[in-house]
Amino acid sequence: MFQSRQPEPSHRPLVPVAIATVAAAAGIGWLLQRAWKPKGDGNHRAAQALGAGAAILCVSVALDSAIEHYRGEFKDKAMFVGPTMALLGLGAATYVAFRPERANERLPKIALFTVGATGLAGLGFHTYNILKRPGELDALNLFYGAPMGAPAALTLAGLYGVIAGEMLSGRSYVKTRLPKHTAGLIAFSLMGTIAEAGLLHFRGSFQDPAMYLPVTIPPLAAIGIGAAALTPRATVVAEPLLKATALLGIAGPMFHAYGIHRNMGGWKNWSQMILQGPPLPAPPAFLGIAAAGLGILPLLKEEQK
Amino acid sequence: MSGFKTPYPDYDVLEKRDSPSWNEQTREAVRQRLEDVPPRRFLSEEQWTLLEAIVARLVPQPDREEPVPIVPWIDEMLHKNETPGYRYADMPPMREAWQRGLDAIAAEARNRDGRSFEQLPPDEQDALLTDIQRNRVDKQIWGDLPAGGFFLHHLLKQTVGIYYSHPDAWSEIGYGGPASPRGYARLGPDERDPWEAREVDVA
Repeated sequence: MFQSRQPEPSHRPLVPVAIATVAAAAGIGWLLQRAWKPKGDGNHRAAQALGAGAAILCVSVALDSAIEHYRGEFKDKAMFVGPTMALLGLGAATYVAFRPERANERLPKIALFTVGATGLAGLGFHTYNILKRPGELDALNLFYGAPMGAPAALTLAGLYGVIAGEMLSGRSYVKTRLPKHTAGLIAFSLMGTIAEAGLLHFRGSFQDPAMYLPVTIPPLAAIGIGAAALTPRATVVAEPLLKATALLGIAGPMFHAYGIHRNMGGWKNWSQMILQGPPLPAPPAFLGIAAAGLGILPLLKEEQK
Repeated sequence: MSGFKTPYPDYDVLEKRDSPSWNEQTREAVRQRLEDVPPRRFLSEEQWTLLEAIVARLVPQPDREEPVPIVPWIDEMLHKNETPGYRYADMPPMREAWQRGLDAIAAEARNRDGRSFEQLPPDEQDALLTDIQRNRVDKQIWGDLPAGGFFLHHLLKQTVGIYYSHPDAWSEIGYGGPASPRGYARLGPDERDPWEAREVDVA
């Protein structure tokens, strides 16, 4: 992904690969949508979606940080914290997703709050790691130093989980500010993930046209849900864009699997490529954020009535 | 002797042969190097034995049951006239330089005390090679061939280059052989991939 490779003899092989990938992702997305049976009123549904989004984010962070910290040989004992907290977050968020009526209980809320706070601390650690390298805040260190976006995703997962609980708290702002602020947070989450994907795809010099997708579709979705926070009418636009972003989150690992196949040695060389090729567990972050966004939309719409 | 001990005593690069580190092309290239040692085709028998004696001083391999073959590969290079693609301005073309250089070393040894280079004890061989390296030689024998230049650019560089092309030498220095197709993922200082040699303290 970041080594310059032989150019494709033509773009023709990419077309069937892209079509097959998007079709497979659409199939999986359709199955997920069918399996999605939200319970209760709008607030419960939103809590459930936020829990599911947080759980998907945690899966992505758990696998990605486990692989990357394994690559870093767990040189610092603190490197065990990221994957461990992501697993804790996964447990708590899954609980919220399957039992949304208990989202406001103390235990999952404390767990997810801790996970979110750990993400902030991780962001500090990773920033320090970048700044202590020679050259400090330059492109090379942003490319190859500890990624800033990864611990931030843990913070977002924690926030989604805590908000899911708040949705059921019965406080007055649940009906007024909370959905709008959450929509704003989701727009912000998308922008952060776009920045991370954009930075790394730029590092990979966008050598496959599909690498432009995460810097085109999710920004539109971010604008869509950002607009929906301000005016409920925009939810009509935000919904298909968020669904497209979710689709991208499913298609991403398949595109990355193809990227590994195209690298030196391909999948036979998996022990190097799982570390050095395009990261398989990273793209589902888009699915997690989009799922949370789709859960919030009905609340924003209700306000319209 | 320096008393060098490899810090990779248990490492054998050939254990990588069937791992994902190497592909068919790499395996075949290494197999040829190990099994298809070329016969004598270019050098005369005298030049060959002299070169064996010189190489044994440049890269002594006293602790190896089967020394890494070096002279056959120099002969192969000369036989095929595989030059590096350039010629040193003060030296004749590669084949001529080797012929004249080896003959000059033989003559230099005989001229000094009547014995051939091969008959000299190791410390006298070393002394003679040092003189050649420093251009302290008989101009009548060497003519316009620069002794020091031949020693450094042809004799020493080829010998060391061929020695470190052999898997036994790779194992000795903990080198992983061709990174094809599997390269390295951990590139920072003090980092090691699981498929790399592990250094141990032998002191």
